[in-house]
Amino acid sequence: MPILTAENISKNYGKIKALKGVSFSVPEGCVFGILGPNGSGKTTLLGIIMNVLKATGGTYKLFDEAATDAHRKKIGTLLETPNFYHYLSAVQNLKITAAIKGHSENDIERVLDIVDLQKRKHSKFSTYSLGMKQRLAIGAALLGNPDVLVFDEPTNGLDPVGISEIRTLIKKLSASGKTIIMASHLLDEVEKVCTHVAILKQGDLLRTGTVTEVFTQSDIVQLNAADKEKLKSILGALNIYNRIDEVNGIIELTCNAGVANLAEINRFCFDKGIVLSHLQIKKSNIESKFLELTN
Amino acid sequence: MINLLKIEWLKLKNYTAFKVLILFFGAGIILANYVVFMVHKNIMARAPGPGKAILSSFSPYNFTNTWQTTSYASGWLLILPAMLLIIVITNEYTFRTVRQNIIDGWSRQEFISVKIMMALLLAIASTLVVFLTALVFGLSSGTDFSFNSISHVGFFFLKALSYNMFAVLISVLVKKTGFAIGLYFIYLGTENFLSQLLDVWSLKIKKDSGHDLGSMGDYLPINAADGLLTFPDNPLKSLAKGTLPTDYYWIVLSLAIAYLLLFIWWSRQKFLKADL
Repeated sequence: MPILTAENISKNYGKIKALKGVSFSVPEGCVFGILGPNGSGKTTLLGIIMNVLKATGGTYKLFDEAATDAHRKKIGTLLETPNFYHYLSAVQNLKITAAIKGHSENDIERVLDIVDLQKRKHSKFSTYSLGMKQRLAIGAALLGNPDVLVFDEPTNGLDPVGISEIRTLIKKLSASGKTIIMASHLLDEVEKVCTHVAILKQGDLLRTGTVTEVFTQSDIVQLNAADKEKLKSILGALNIYNRIDEVNGIIELTCNAGVANLAEINRFCFDKGIVLSHLQIKKSNIESKFLELTN
Repeated sequence: MINLLKIEWLKLKNYTAFKVLILFFGAGIILANYVVFMVHKNIMARAPGPGKAILSSFSPYNFTNTWQTTSYASGWLLILPAMLLIIVITNEYTFRTVRQNIIDGWSRQEFISVKIMMALLLAIASTLVVFLTALVFGLSSGTDFSFNSISHVGFFFLKALSYNMFAVLISVLVKKTGFAIGLYFIYLGTENFLSQLLDVWSLKIKKDSGHDLGSMGDYLPINAADGLLTFPDNPLKSLAKGTLPTDYYWIVLSLAIAYLLLFIWWSRQKFLKADL
């Protein structure tokens, strides 16, 4: 059962198109990363699904049904910022969250333990550091032990130890069978934590699928010759690459990992009467793949 | 709804501004009426012979005057519960808890309903305080108890509702605390000014053409609820010129209710459709 299905969701702010017909589906039990640079529409997308923003077009389903308010009670969500009453303590704030979600207050101590806020649980929210606020928000999302969690930039404002703790927590939650939807602009976060990914750029969904599908490793063969036009024309007969580009005056062939053999390419060109002036293989990593996808 | 109100109470019970404003309002009503009471008493004591005779024919806190005097004198304090509502509702935007409440599973309808319900409850509580104050001052006047003119307590309730629902509307439209409070006062001031102009115009029309349109200033949104609350008829008032007959009572009352419904409807529409 898909936990979340987005169909052709779009959102305009006046003339600005924040989302341009985004569709994807989140399978049960996965860690789904929504990856994109700042301003790519990640939070807007999650805001629409959480009913705090109104979509200009498109529909979405939760738990494979038309979305209702009751569905949101079964999802723990941290959207964009930790949102709490500044003049209330952690415990007082969590009581409100529990009451809205219809959970018992007994779960409050458990989540305060998980996010390590026991010592400051009676301090006012306004006295918390950024990291503590973020941890309280994660704690609030965990109230009632929901099966689905939505984390928008969960490691925002945390120090390296906090970041690592949250990532471990997400992995632990995932291992216990929960579905986690996570928005992040950090590639390395998505790579380390997620099983599935959707890449957003300026409101367009560029790619979606499992992390391995989307970030398939590939090799890039760079070559050049004095007679570049002739080189290009003979390369048509070389069927090892998926794509041919010209970058900074150098021809680049994108091939599946392990397919390209430089010696054979060199012989192929020589046999066709071309002497290569440049021949090099470049391993593409996830980072360059991400840049390639978003640039 | 009870459940929603319980959650609202969790938000408010530890909020200092809430307690302070409620306290100021309650104390203010008693104090304002006490001041009117004392001023009247002092005027009576110092008035020269013939004036004293006219004045002593009028006593603001006698039954049945007490219902009207207390309602009128307490009316301007309704700014305080309105401020409270603006602060509480715009806080939800400042803290972004409006988003979080919805994210956590409230419907937008539930969120706006509980705010409107709170405005209603505040109006009921304010009216109750006024009722009790009027009763206590009336009983202490030594006159015979009477429910005559109790309708003025009802007008006070209408004014309280009107001020409160307008506060809800401004909060939902403006979202920022300072800006909302500023706009609330600017609107009240502007409407008051316009209503004076309209009143003058009404008098001129009546004088020039004989058409009595009532005091048209009372046809404006906030003034409609305001206009029904007046100080009891007294010897001094009859000396003041420009008083219009109040036989437009039903028009003003209907308008006040219509504006009230408009405030509620508009707040709800805005909240259900907007990005939060």
